[in-house]
Amino acid sequence: MTEDKPPRKEESAGLMKYSAENLVPFGPIHPALKEPEYFKLVLEGEKIVEVIPRIGYVHRGLEKAAESRPWVQNMYMFERTCGICSFVHSLTYGQAVEGLTIYEIPRRAKFIRTIIAELERIHSHLLWVGLMGHWAGFETLFMWVWRDREVVLDLVEAISGNRIHKSMNAFCGVRRDMPEGMEDRIVERMKFLVDRANYYKGIVDTEETMLERTEDIGRVSAETAEKLCAVGPMARYVGLRRDIRLNDPYAAYDEVPFDVVTSKEGDVHALLKLRLDEMIVAANMVSYAVKHLPEGPIRIKIPPVIPAGEHSSHSEAPRGEIFYYVKSSGGRTPDRVKSRQPTMANLPTALEILKGQTIADVPVVLTAIDPCFGCMDRMSFLDIESNRQWTWSGEELRRYGINYYFPERMKMR
Amino acid sequence: MSEVLLQQIERLAADAKTKSTQLHKGETMIEIEQSQLKNFITRLVNQIKIRHLSTITGLDLGQNIGIIYHFWRDRNTIHLKTFVPKTKPTTVSIVDIIPGAILYEMEIHDMLGVMFVGNPWMDKKLLLPDNWPDDLPPPLLKNVKPADIRKRLGLEVEKK
Repeated sequence: MTEDKPPRKEESAGLMKYSAENLVPFGPIHPALKEPEYFKLVLEGEKIVEVIPRIGYVHRGLEKAAESRPWVQNMYMFERTCGICSFVHSLTYGQAVEGLTIYEIPRRAKFIRTIIAELERIHSHLLWVGLMGHWAGFETLFMWVWRDREVVLDLVEAISGNRIHKSMNAFCGVRRDMPEGMEDRIVERMKFLVDRANYYKGIVDTEETMLERTEDIGRVSAETAEKLCAVGPMARYVGLRRDIRLNDPYAAYDEVPFDVVTSKEGDVHALLKLRLDEMIVAANMVSYAVKHLPEGPIRIKIPPVIPAGEHSSHSEAPRGEIFYYVKSSGGRTPDRVKSRQPTMANLPTALEILKGQTIADVPVVLTAIDPCFGCMDRMSFLDIESNRQWTWSGEELRRYGINYYFPERMKMR
Repeated sequence: MSEVLLQQIERLAADAKTKSTQLHKGETMIEIEQSQLKNFITRLVNQIKIRHLSTITGLDLGQNIGIIYHFWRDRNTIHLKTFVPKTKPTTVSIVDIIPGAILYEMEIHDMLGVMFVGNPWMDKKLLLPDNWPDDLPPPLLKNVKPADIRKRLGLEVEKK
């Protein structure tokens, strides 16, 4: 251990001149990470100058798997892409396939799709606000918000029978009708959620912890965000009116009135308020759609063979635009299915935002787009003089630290 | 698709010596030569102001690999399709026009083995594992079977 010891501070002053760049690996496997993702951060002192992403640790080859499965089976496979916004995946894939057929989707089914999609948006935003509180060091917010999230999950369970993977969609319709007598309960619960969202808006505006951790952090210009093809809240928080529900309405979004929430401030604090505002809009949309639910059939049965052709569809998931492209050669299985998730589209923007931030703000900024992570337990070293590279485990690092500061304590062992 | 936009697109397509076809309501497909691609996208972004690239799709079409660029603005979707031969899968990168395309190009490079000249991260892997052998074909090609890949990577579990 002693020969690995780098020079002390006064000796290393000359060395710092040469080591302008320091690499810090983040991820991929860490207890604090929701998903395994890896970011190689190039640092200059505390400041980040370059970020190189490495994803694919949970790549399951869904696009390849889709080519050998029947059309209907794929719908439920793609629903399992995500454990939070599951419904919107099957919805978008369904829309892409429906475009190749001649059938019209019943109006009642369109409304039910809208209700479920908006309930899912509330669920996802609540989950995110809670995590944001968690990473900013405000655990009480996390506890409160996740308790309110149960309200939405209970409603979703009452409607579809499942909490997360609703399996509500079918080609040209939905599989289950709305249960009888749910209307009053949904409207009352939505009112409760609007009250809560307003309350949380007050908290994030006044609470010191949240303000200090989120204000003036994660800034990006509207031009950069547009060039990097940002989607969803990441585009709206810098003032771009990019929302598929408004730009290219699907399901019943052309019949249900709603506002697109945008912000001009362009920092993480603005994102927090934007997502809470979007939650209020979504809750009002659910109430409206439930009250104005039209009568009629909920589904048309279509043959298992889809006509040849190619078609694409996109829709607004809680995190942004989801895109599906399908190509059929007239068989029972697709020729090609392409799916693109919003996090993939927002990653270049997140990398751009990270440049110039300090390393302490990395968790907050990365949580802002939705992937997140905590600290590290394994470091990589580069010795400039001998150009030698080595790594230490957390235990070795701890021993080195004790040895460096308290050499007498190590001797005692 | 609005009439004005459609005319603009048709004019652009005529300049690039190709034609646009209506796939569905609001969806246009344009098949374009590789040499015209960058010029076309530059004019699409600067003149018609269609700036948002949804994604890039790679397709195995037997002899060729098809690459589709999906753009949209309001209710109009434009698919820009180009072809690269499988024998020499190389094409130009559009990262200098649309910086947001960088990860999509890396994905196609991993999955179908297409080389995008001009993309600064072409030497890095995005989705494939680090121990992916160089002589193994890209996994999304039609002739590659998942069972073979599992066997090759030592992931095949023997059935009892």
